[in-house]
Amino acid sequence: MASEKGPPKWTRWGSYAGLVLGGIAACIPFVWMLLASFMTRGETLRKVFVPAEMQWENYLLAWREADFGLYFENSLIIAVVQVGGTLLFSLMAAYPLARMQFRGRDAVFACILATLMIPETVTMVPNFLTITWLHRQSPFAWLDSWPALTVPFMASAFCIFLLRQFLRALPGDLWEAARIDGAGHVRFLFQIVLPLCRAPLLTVGMFTFIGSWNALAWPLLVTYTSKWRPISVGLQQFVSEAGAEVHLQMAGAVIATFPVLLAYFLIQREFTEGISMSGLKG
Amino acid sequence: MKNKGKEQLIAWGFMAPALIVLAAFGLFPIGYAFYVSLHRWRIKQEALIGLEHYVRALGDPQFFAYFLLGLISIWAASRWFGRRRWRHRRSLVSVVVYALLCAVALWLMSLGLPGMLESGDGRLYNGFKVTFFYALGTIPVQLTVAMMLACVLFNSWRGKGFFRVLFFLPYVTPVIASAVVFRTIFSPHPSSLANRFWAILGMEEQRWLYENKSVVFLALEGLGVSSCPAWVNEWFPSLALVSIILYNIWVYIGYDTVILLAGLSAIPAHYYEAAEIDGAGSWQVFRHITLPLVSPTLFFLSMVAVIGTFKAFNHIYIMRTPGARDTVDVLSIAIFDQLFEHHDAGYAACLAFILFVAILALTLLQNRALGKRVFYGE
Repeated sequence: MASEKGPPKWTRWGSYAGLVLGGIAACIPFVWMLLASFMTRGETLRKVFVPAEMQWENYLLAWREADFGLYFENSLIIAVVQVGGTLLFSLMAAYPLARMQFRGRDAVFACILATLMIPETVTMVPNFLTITWLHRQSPFAWLDSWPALTVPFMASAFCIFLLRQFLRALPGDLWEAARIDGAGHVRFLFQIVLPLCRAPLLTVGMFTFIGSWNALAWPLLVTYTSKWRPISVGLQQFVSEAGAEVHLQMAGAVIATFPVLLAYFLIQREFTEGISMSGLKG
Repeated sequence: MKNKGKEQLIAWGFMAPALIVLAAFGLFPIGYAFYVSLHRWRIKQEALIGLEHYVRALGDPQFFAYFLLGLISIWAASRWFGRRRWRHRRSLVSVVVYALLCAVALWLMSLGLPGMLESGDGRLYNGFKVTFFYALGTIPVQLTVAMMLACVLFNSWRGKGFFRVLFFLPYVTPVIASAVVFRTIFSPHPSSLANRFWAILGMEEQRWLYENKSVVFLALEGLGVSSCPAWVNEWFPSLALVSIILYNIWVYIGYDTVILLAGLSAIPAHYYEAAEIDGAGSWQVFRHITLPLVSPTLFFLSMVAVIGTFKAFNHIYIMRTPGARDTVDVLSIAIFDQLFEHHDAGYAACLAFILFVAILALTLLQNRALGKRVFYGE
């Protein structure tokens, strides 16, 4: 779009200044988190920006003091189960919605989209009661264990929507060719479509991963011992207990942030592209 | 025929797991919440008490009836004015009827609302108020700034990818971690970043997240007005809430920018070429080409933001302090407290159901008000 003529010079510089300012504003909290996590307790109370000496033991201290090892492991297990389940179920649901003819398809899709409009705040209370009921009825534990933390989120309307968009755009010849080769829907989906879905699956998986890592209200409700509590709950409790220990809080925040940012940097291209698609009409 | 039946079976079989989960934990809760709200319900189901919870929450039914009638007459007025037959020749009579309906609506509401506020649950109405402040403080600012950033990024020929990754960082960072960071940034301690920044500007230290006085009150106080009426504190957001709003803006601007950027990229270039040939100025291009063509994306983002306002919980739960009192307690916090602290599932379900109805009404309203102005092309 940038034409040769372009806008006058000062607007160009002005807009670049705006961008850079925005970038700095986006970064400051991260920089502060990192810097403060290496400070001594005294330094966090004085008006210091850069620690005189890097206090690496803050991380060790926070890790041990807040039992982050356990919470971290819990969060990883919960995330893996939830992401795996969501990807599988959402892909399986998106496939017929995108590529098969059956009665009631549009109605089913409309119902799925309707769940997007209902925030978790509304469903939280009844879902808690449902889980309590399941806990009492079923032979294995739901409350204070992984099923309560993962099963209610095993399918997501947003994921189904995104995957359906992608599947609809696949060429129709693929299915014709597969059918001539004698493949059924199941084989077609898992052997041919699945490998093609790398980018949207990464997007949807990242999205689910962030959601699972962020969950706070729900884990607070359905866990009562630290056995299955995720890192969000661990950090929240650590912060409300530790009081003034800013440097340890920041170290804890860095620990909790690390896996998510790592995953983001690994797949950032696919993810930003995929998320961008969600705002376009399809 | 047999083959077709098999296809149906496969389709439903594929969808079954997702549909079961979404039905059980996405749609069923609406009906279940209403059912639970009609009972006394702590750990287990107890006596059926009908609408008692709703009376406790919303207040005296008489006042609520006035309020409801007021809403209905507003709706009637808008229907009356929007009738297709009248749209082009509005006679005096129709204008008079419209004005009358509006006046009746206002009168009914003024009868109902104060009574509801008085006799209903203060936490519910406070929750609505805080949620309203929160939405008003975040959505317009967020979308305007994001629109500006997206336009600049779109027109710049370098660094697009870099800034996109950078602006997206706050959105992908775990809310828990970034909220903890902002808790220390907006702490009342003199060494907090917010206070240091404030000191550079030559202002007095503030209590930020611990401050329950409204920003307007504090500003007036800073200007030397010593005695402010109480409503200045009532009807403006507290400094604690504004701090949380700033956090929310920080998180979502990047997300909005990236999505708007995709929307801008989808506008066909020939529109711009045509405008250039016609000699349109840059503001005219923005107003008549960019804005209408990107409006579906803006509409989508505003919907996401409104739903997000009602969802907002994690960061508020972490950033709320005893000092802020209830000035940051949005509805989701109030509902959670009801369940988590007071173990009153019946009443919590009642509040959740009221919230659901409010969201439903708001979504329909938003669709009606904005949906028509969105340009979806041919």
